[in-house]
Amino acid sequence: MTTRRLFQMGAAAVAVAGAVMVVTAGQAPSGAPVYTAAQAAAGRAAYQANCASCHVADLGGRNEAPQLAGTDFMNTWRNRSTADLLDYISSQMPPGRPSLAADDYASIVAYILQQNGAVAGATPVSASTAVAIGTVATGQRPAAAPAAQAAAARGGDEGAPRPAARVAQPRGVTVAGSVKNYVPVTDEMLLHPPAGDWLMARRSYQGWSYSPLTDINTATVKDLRLAWVWNMNEGGANQTMPLVHNGIMYLWNTGNTIQALDAATGDLIWEHEVGPLEHIGFGSMRNIAIYGDKIIAATTDARIVALSAINGTKAWETVIADRTKGYSNTSGPIIARGKVIQGLQGCTRYGTDRCFISAYDVNTGQQVWRFNTMAHKGEPGGDTWGKLEDNFRQGGETWIAGSYDPDLHLTYWGIAQAKPWMPASRGNTVFDDSLYSASTVALDVDTGKLAWHFQHIPGESFDLDEVFERVLVDNGPDKFLFSIGKSGILWKLDRRTGAFVNARETVFQNVYDRLDPKTGRITYRNDIMEQKVEQWIQSCPSTEGGHNWQAMSYHQPTNALIIPLQQSCMELSGRKTELRDGAGGVNADRKFFEMPGSEGNVGRLSAYDAASMKELWTVQQRVPFLTAVLSTAGNVAFVGDLDRRFRAVDVKTGQTLWQSRLGTSVQGFPVSFTANGKQYVAVTTGLGGGSPRQVPRAIIPEVHHPNSGHAVYVFELPTK
Amino acid sequence: MTRWSAALVLLLGVALVPLQAQATRQFRTRLSPVPVAAYTATVVGSGTASATLTGTRLVVTGTYAGLASPATKASLYRSQKPGMRGDLLLPLTVSGGTTGTIAGEFTLTAAQVAEVTAGRYYVQLSSEKAAEGNLWGWLLAQENR
Repeated sequence: MTTRRLFQMGAAAVAVAGAVMVVTAGQAPSGAPVYTAAQAAAGRAAYQANCASCHVADLGGRNEAPQLAGTDFMNTWRNRSTADLLDYISSQMPPGRPSLAADDYASIVAYILQQNGAVAGATPVSASTAVAIGTVATGQRPAAAPAAQAAAARGGDEGAPRPAARVAQPRGVTVAGSVKNYVPVTDEMLLHPPAGDWLMARRSYQGWSYSPLTDINTATVKDLRLAWVWNMNEGGANQTMPLVHNGIMYLWNTGNTIQALDAATGDLIWEHEVGPLEHIGFGSMRNIAIYGDKIIAATTDARIVALSAINGTKAWETVIADRTKGYSNTSGPIIARGKVIQGLQGCTRYGTDRCFISAYDVNTGQQVWRFNTMAHKGEPGGDTWGKLEDNFRQGGETWIAGSYDPDLHLTYWGIAQAKPWMPASRGNTVFDDSLYSASTVALDVDTGKLAWHFQHIPGESFDLDEVFERVLVDNGPDKFLFSIGKSGILWKLDRRTGAFVNARETVFQNVYDRLDPKTGRITYRNDIMEQKVEQWIQSCPSTEGGHNWQAMSYHQPTNALIIPLQQSCMELSGRKTELRDGAGGVNADRKFFEMPGSEGNVGRLSAYDAASMKELWTVQQRVPFLTAVLSTAGNVAFVGDLDRRFRAVDVKTGQTLWQSRLGTSVQGFPVSFTANGKQYVAVTTGLGGGSPRQVPRAIIPEVHHPNSGHAVYVFELPTK
Repeated sequence: MTRWSAALVLLLGVALVPLQAQATRQFRTRLSPVPVAAYTATVVGSGTASATLTGTRLVVTGTYAGLASPATKASLYRSQKPGMRGDLLLPLTVSGGTTGTIAGEFTLTAAQVAEVTAGRYYVQLSSEKAAEGNLWGWLLAQENR
């Protein structure tokens, strides 16, 4: 279970049970033992090696990986059998890649039972063991030696048998080399990026994903050919965006390894294993940053490191948050006014820790400010959480890098929804807005002080996240901010004040009955207002999102927003959640289906006029697009998809002008740059990820791609 | 305009009124698997369903293929909105087999005409190994597409 999840476990449980009886933990089990101590010991090792990266070493869960020990686990599995559990993890875990030996799966079940208070006996658990879990387990953890408990909290496995293959430790600089004639990146360069560079997330502070280069254009793009390809580390997820400065490509490689490559040839210059090398959760890192002579990268275990851009040596390192509590990062920082501004992922566990955006001195790594994304009692917005105590106000992750307006000195970030996903699971209703979830926040870049906020989806209920890119567009004196979330609603705000300007539905949605045209306030469907736990409720779009992390591009010459969209629906059932520190998670089950009216076209690429917000064109296809859109001054836009196609389309029509089939699914953020005066386009292929991968696995089973092939591909025009 | 030609226009106008009232509207949907948590080998297949509404008469036809087990029943359901589960409304006939046809013909009330026009009706097909539903799809008006 290295990447995903037992999150679907409850689905069948609820369906089968109808009304699941919720019993408190601690009732005495009556059944005879169904596993052996040796099996549980082996299971512990197998769990730590294969499952803990998502479900965490202490089985406490994180994000979509549910708790595997405790009341929430028992509420899901009490009435199902050990055979059901074994069958489930054997067929579904790791998600999309069930690959462990049969004995390992059985051992992991034994370990899970042990960690839920089941007593060991003389008979090993097997596929033929069909005993209701509630008859042998209580949900109460067994007493453990203090040393073993401490080790588990640290994420280690001391005291347990060693797994067959231990995860390697990062080695620091593994390939020594030096970038010749390095030119430091200045504030001026970040404000006005050189045409041939790609210096930050989505290339500009405004987040346009737009290149001013023109050699590759509507006339020449048909001649595009492969210049070089660089294989990347396998495992985990790959959704990254290379940086390019002065002909050098800086690449976050899976396993938190940073590499510098000659952008013209693909030759490796230096490599630094920052680590951790093991894959944590979805495990991707969508962007890194560059400033002065430093590459600045967040890690998947919630640290920030600064490396020399010249030779990869470490300059400083700062811990953002405690990895053992499930915190992580899947996107890196932006650099503005000498500060590294960084989000945080994995804020799903109940407790006193809070989720935040934070800023660090770019030269030292010292924290400069911190903005807590979930409002507590007594704070502005603190009265929007009903009666929930502060330690149960979780969620609010910032897992996409923000944007920045250098004139207004404001940085703009999208905030994720509250956790668990459904208000009914978290002890709220949709009428509890739960600030600052599902919002845009504008923060003073020097102080982190909130300038304004706009909540797109108050009381969000379906993991219809609004965390994605903020795109800043001016129209004369007017300064706008565009964003689009999983609901598929394209929002237009005044970025000076946060005032609502306009909204447009892109894909079909059935969650909101109304969107107030003056305020942008949504009104939920009646059955959503009346939601209860363990009740399936349908939602279009699904958690795949009408839009997801695959960023839109603003094509300035045509004033068009070119947006990757997805068309799928789901039904979701929120689980009952125990209100105690350490519990939480997303705590819901999902089932997916095709979106009505989509004709089975899950993938959609649409362009909208930024002034009128009218649709300019749409193209649709069976498989989803899995890359951001890159548009260029050559009037072409690049995008890749699940079925290995990387293509260039005409920005005015969406018509495909060129395409190539790559090694596996095309996933990441295409970039364009120059090296030795020549324009290139680069894109990554990759596997792994959340709903954008899970939903196609469920509803587009006929499409296959290799389960390996992480790489960066670089394309060029023939030499004249 | 002569008296005769004016009378002809009037006559045609009178004749067109009931014809307009009997205007035909077309609805269509792709049939695809009902909600699944993950790929489910017993809940597979695809198809299409069409409906023609003439006045209050609704004629439903459809085809399906690729089921993992023979079809057992098909019905028309009424939901609050497209994409939401709803109530069983009317039975359809189904040919059976893993590839086959569905059909039905109904006289709707005025309220039901409004409902089908709003895209609230969906076809659901069950099979032996997917008794609670195998394929479904919402009948959407083609003039809106």
